[in-house]
Amino acid sequence: MDPRFQTLQEVLQQVKGYIYPNEVELHWGLLVVVYPYLTGLVAGAFILASLERVFNVREVQPTYRLSLLTALAFLIVAPLPLLAHLGHPLRSFEIFLTPNLRSAMAMFGFVYAWYLMVVLLLEIWFDYRQDLVLWSRRESGPRKWLHRLLTLGATDLSEASLRFDRNAGKLITLIGIPSAFLLHGYVGFIFGSVKANPWWSSVLIPVVFLFSAIVSGIALVLLLYMFTSLVRRVEIDMTCADKLSSLLLYALIVDFSLEVLDFIHRLYESEESIKILSQMISAKLFLSLVVLQALLGTVVPILLLGLLSPAFRSRGLVEVPDELRRWAYVGAAVLIQIGIFSTRWNVVIGGQLFSKSLRGLTVYKMELTGLEGFFVSAALLILPFVVLYFLIKVLPPWQEGETAAQAGLAEVA
Amino acid sequence: MPQQVTRLAVVFGILILALVLARSQLVPKTFGQAGHYRAAAVTEIAAAKIHYAGHEACAACHEDIAKTRSAGRHRNVACEVCHGPAADHVAAPTDVHPSAPKQRGRCPQCHGYDSARPTGFPQIDPVTHNPVRPCISCHQPHAPETPREPEACGACHGSIARTHAVSAHALIGCTRCHETDRRHKTTPLLIRPSKPASRAFCAGCHARDAGSPKEIPRVDVTTHGERYVCWQCHYPHFPEAK
Repeated sequence: MDPRFQTLQEVLQQVKGYIYPNEVELHWGLLVVVYPYLTGLVAGAFILASLERVFNVREVQPTYRLSLLTALAFLIVAPLPLLAHLGHPLRSFEIFLTPNLRSAMAMFGFVYAWYLMVVLLLEIWFDYRQDLVLWSRRESGPRKWLHRLLTLGATDLSEASLRFDRNAGKLITLIGIPSAFLLHGYVGFIFGSVKANPWWSSVLIPVVFLFSAIVSGIALVLLLYMFTSLVRRVEIDMTCADKLSSLLLYALIVDFSLEVLDFIHRLYESEESIKILSQMISAKLFLSLVVLQALLGTVVPILLLGLLSPAFRSRGLVEVPDELRRWAYVGAAVLIQIGIFSTRWNVVIGGQLFSKSLRGLTVYKMELTGLEGFFVSAALLILPFVVLYFLIKVLPPWQEGETAAQAGLAEVA
Repeated sequence: MPQQVTRLAVVFGILILALVLARSQLVPKTFGQAGHYRAAAVTEIAAAKIHYAGHEACAACHEDIAKTRSAGRHRNVACEVCHGPAADHVAAPTDVHPSAPKQRGRCPQCHGYDSARPTGFPQIDPVTHNPVRPCISCHQPHAPETPREPEACGACHGSIARTHAVSAHALIGCTRCHETDRRHKTTPLLIRPSKPASRAFCAGCHARDAGSPKEIPRVDVTTHGERYVCWQCHYPHFPEAK
């Protein structure tokens, strides 16, 4: 038997109730789950970086550059799942060549380009320019030329010029915050505006997406900060880790409240779809929604962070040694990543599991190989870390580098 | 002006210039003239070869068949749905002959059983329905009629018959609940079978004091769901369904 028919036959056996023939197979699979997950991490990491820059949260300064590079690495990879899902990647440039102002999806090309070119790259450039100039003066070989190229020839290190860098960076961050909101709010908007789908169609979806993005971004940077410190054998700045975990807790509480609000709103509204949606939650999404997203991905991290992080009391509600607190933070951050990935899964896959007749449920059968399969998605989830590795090699984000650069500047002076 | 601004202006200038250049080279000349598409595509498509002639062209020569078809159940099925594109045949009637589907494969595309098809639409199981024999040996495709009256209700109501056959009501015949005039078999849309109109009908077996076998579930028909007829809540073809 043709393997496609075999899959169809296996799926058909798990279909419940009445569904239309074209609803058996899901059109948006794992790749479309990966896409909002990645863009969420971009927006979240950037908003964390902007905290230091705009709101002067000094404690998270050690993660400022790391968050920017993380956002860039994930932003570079973010469109790849979509391109892999749609096929014909060379056609994607048509978005820019013949812009369609009435298509939300096409306009996202411009949101993406704006965010990449005007916000993220410029902010990183202004922040690193001084270091790039100093590195290119001190280094030799290909690194010297690479860093020199990246200065774009702007090698002026006068006090006025550096002040301009700082002011420009601050201005770009100010523009960047609404841009980051736009970037991920848009992803929620795409789902929220599908008015034919009761699981997606909600004005709260863009806001919920945004806050879950902030949560996942902070958790990822926290993990990366701890991991890179471990690899570099540098002591973790606990003030920074504590502040990150407090921020993570606040964002998580807001995110959870919004999701609960959405849930209660749906229950109270009790539209005609409520029965099939509750069937879907109990029959098809129990593990990914109730267990992974709500319990392990939200409630457990809130309890862990609420008890151990200094959000409510300077030493935490339960005082524990630094080492244990670090492990608790890592545990909470990992659980949050699982939870947010499940959130994306529940939105994308959940929205296609029930029939438009509201009388039946289908099932999603994930493939292992193939373009829409598990391995491609896993590779796309690993790729940003590879990109980040190279970005860190070219643009070391560590404070020691900055201090050395300051010393170099002093020498030059 | 700070050095950074001039350098960035150069970089962005190059990028914008590249975009403008790419647009001038890659966007088709007629794009956007009539909407968000290449206007020349319309004339190109209009110039494409026409394959279908339309049923009026067929009727011009095959008047007798057109007359039979217009009176039959296939009156809304155009000739070329079964016979394929016939423009070449119209242009050269003796040289090109359209195909006629004489094999069994074609008719089940519409008449093979599929639960998504509307109830009452004639559907058969191609595997069990007179195997091997071509459909046209019994059915006249231009004005199809069932060769004889259907024997069982399942011939048209396949979905219900299949559900009913595995339900607790499997041994109750259709006509026990539906009073069906014989003419329903030949004019199904004009003469409709009845449905039980009162609760007393189901109570005949399911009331506490009914004389039916004791395994049959009982309810107090005076209090149980009093405002409704039974089948408004219970699906009689598969009463186990919740």
